Amino acid sequence: MQMETVRFTQNDLAKYPFLKETAAHMKKLNLKIEELANPEMEQILNRAEERVKSAILSVSVGKKRENYVEIPSFPVAIMLAIATKNSFIKKRYALAEAKQAFSDMRFETRERIMAIALDFDWNLAPNRSSEIPFEFALNFADYLRNTVHLRDTEWKLVNRILVNGKVYLNQHDVARLLQEEVQSRIERRLEATELPSFPEKITEMAERLIDLAKDRIGQEEMEGFPKAVSQSAFPPCIVALHEAVSKGHHLSHVGRFTLTSFLVSIGMPSEKVAELFKSFSDYNERLTRYQIEHIAGERGSRTRYTPPNCATLQTHGVCVNSNDGSCRGARNPLVYYKRKLKR
Amino acid sequence: MTVSSRDFVYEKFSDFYSDPSTVIPSPSLLGQRELGFLLFKERIMLRHKVFARISNLKLFLGEAVPSDVYRSCAYYENPAAEMDKKGWLGADLVFDIDADHIPTSCSKIHDEWTCANSECGFSGKGITPETCPICGGRKFDTKTWPCDLCLESAKNETAKLIDMLEKDFGFSAKEMSVFFSGHRGYHVHVENEAVKTLDAMARKEIVDYVFGLGLTISGGTAKGKSRRRGASRDFSLHDFGWNKRLKLGLQNFLLTATKEDLANAGIKGKSAAVLGNKELILKRCVEEGRWGSVKGVGVGTWKKLAEYVKDLESAKIDTVVTTDTHRLIRMNGTLHGKTGLKKVEFPLSNLKDFDPFKEAVAFKEGAVKVFVSDAPEFRLSGNVFGPYKRKTVELPTAAAILLICKGRAEVAS
Ligand SMILES: [Zn+2]
Ligand SMILES: [Zn+2]
Repeated sequence: MQMETVRFTQNDLAKYPFLKETAAHMKKLNLKIEELANPEMEQILNRAEERVKSAILSVSVGKKRENYVEIPSFPVAIMLAIATKNSFIKKRYALAEAKQAFSDMRFETRERIMAIALDFDWNLAPNRSSEIPFEFALNFADYLRNTVHLRDTEWKLVNRILVNGKVYLNQHDVARLLQEEVQSRIERRLEATELPSFPEKITEMAERLIDLAKDRIGQEEMEGFPKAVSQSAFPPCIVALHEAVSKGHHLSHVGRFTLTSFLVSIGMPSEKVAELFKSFSDYNERLTRYQIEHIAGERGSRTRYTPPNCATLQTHGVCVNSNDGSCRGARNPLVYYKRKLKR
Repeated sequence: MTVSSRDFVYEKFSDFYSDPSTVIPSPSLLGQRELGFLLFKERIMLRHKVFARISNLKLFLGEAVPSDVYRSCAYYENPAAEMDKKGWLGADLVFDIDADHIPTSCSKIHDEWTCANSECGFSGKGITPETCPICGGRKFDTKTWPCDLCLESAKNETAKLIDMLEKDFGFSAKEMSVFFSGHRGYHVHVENEAVKTLDAMARKEIVDYVFGLGLTISGGTAKGKSRRRGASRDFSLHDFGWNKRLKLGLQNFLLTATKEDLANAGIKGKSAAVLGNKELILKRCVEEGRWGSVKGVGVGTWKKLAEYVKDLESAKIDTVVTTDTHRLIRMNGTLHGKTGLKKVEFPLSNLKDFDPFKEAVAFKEGAVKVFVSDAPEFRLSGNVFGPYKRKTVELPTAAAILLICKGRAEVAS
């Protein structure tokens, strides 16, 4: 059974602007970055701003407009997010777009789902087995690539129907996996390192968005520290490790483990901890997150690790032997932290 | 190993690699793989080597005479570069089934371990623990034996693995290769475009699948409201993937199960109810696809049965090997430094009849006098040897090398 390939309409591109075809469409429109400041482009620019703004405020992308505004507003929003140079905003925006796509895809026709999946080079087929009560059959490798971040046990391959290399899924689950794919595609686009010189209007808009994020989310949380984490109560060894990591310096295995387990133990979410390690040349996001989640007890053994005791840190040269009085009598960096917090 | 024993083994390995009739089969895309060699005398590992042709490699082996030859499962843009500059292109999916990871009754007889912590030195028999029960150390000196029974159980695990790879993962016989490792187990390699670029985390999911790790047995895949009410009573089982394996496994287990078998599964008080209701249980589970509704067999018992059957049906692979996307693995056709046996490939369909103590023997000629400190009875090339205890005997080269490499004998002076 060969599915007829669906041609995406303008409505589709407005709904799913992350598709490769949008780029071709945009090429035809031939928009120039300098022209964005022109008054007739205002609608597009405003819609783009709204996309990012809604992402910051409510992890959504706002109400759809007419196609001629909606479609070009997406690449402009991407540019806007890049112009903020703010990793929190970028991440949040990618997530918002992906979530919107998910809610649209849940009720999409099967043919379009197939076409979107093909856009991501998935090996997805309609289920042909009448005995298996699911609509789709997805190659297990595609399945695995997009379930790594999904921690619920229902996503574990072992809990799925896997027959002859295919994982059987309903439309809701396919849409959920496509959401992951959409998010990483957008994140990749936002990683652009060669920045064009933006028109002033864009730069101003970007600055307003940063202020908004600071105002609503809080500077500390944007940088990775939720309000509950008090940086001023960190023991000297952790301060040193944290500083080193922020500057992109390499940590020893023990150092890395100490910092990670400390931050996780005091309640920093794993993904925030992962961001700290991002500046490393050998940084592998999935691997880092995996290791951190392991330490946080969210994976594998489900044991939550705590930092090594001070004695161990001394042997491994992680302890900075400062004259900090609060270190005296503390067996573990966590003891120091808890003590300081009480004061 | 005495110097003369080592010289003897070295000389035989050298003969083997220099012999024009020795064939080392080339892995696919040899030029994209990293090769590694453990050197006999220096005991150091040469890494990051590349050979464009297998004939060059063979020449090198004849000159360098390594005790062990490894090649990467991974493909690299530049295999000779340092690790972070190699440019990883992908990796075969590999599985290692080793008797070291399978509990067998005989391991208590022929396997020993000693804590390597010189201040501790605690020792025991059987499978080496992960940490020393006395000092918590993680390093051990081990004394193991490639025994028939152990290799047979490794073979069973391999068969279960291959069944899953075929039926569940859909790999074709062409994409899979199975090997005797040359020591105490088997290797299965999968070369498939879709899995080639999977990262460590995705491979971990495959490992968990093969192991049955994280399998939700408490049923209730239904979401939301029904979860709370339905879950405790009926677990529904469909006819695919792990569900099917549980069904068939339960059938296999229960049909011949005795009171002791149930005790092994942790079922003691309820064993009479289970044994008395065998047929009904199987009818419910296999035909109707649900656990439950058998008098005297409560949810707890169902779960214990299911967990135990899951354990029986899972394949005991060495999880670390599969998830390591840079792994070096022994090269097909080369000698194992701990046995003098070859790693050999054989057809999938031949798994049942494959005899490692015949097909993996590399040294077919000559004999030598050795002093054997301690060796159990063993088979090689159709002959039975031993057991020996502090005895000088003349043995065929292959048998002598096996004992010397396993630290059980020395060349007699
Ligand atoms: Zn010990
Ligand atoms: Zn054995």
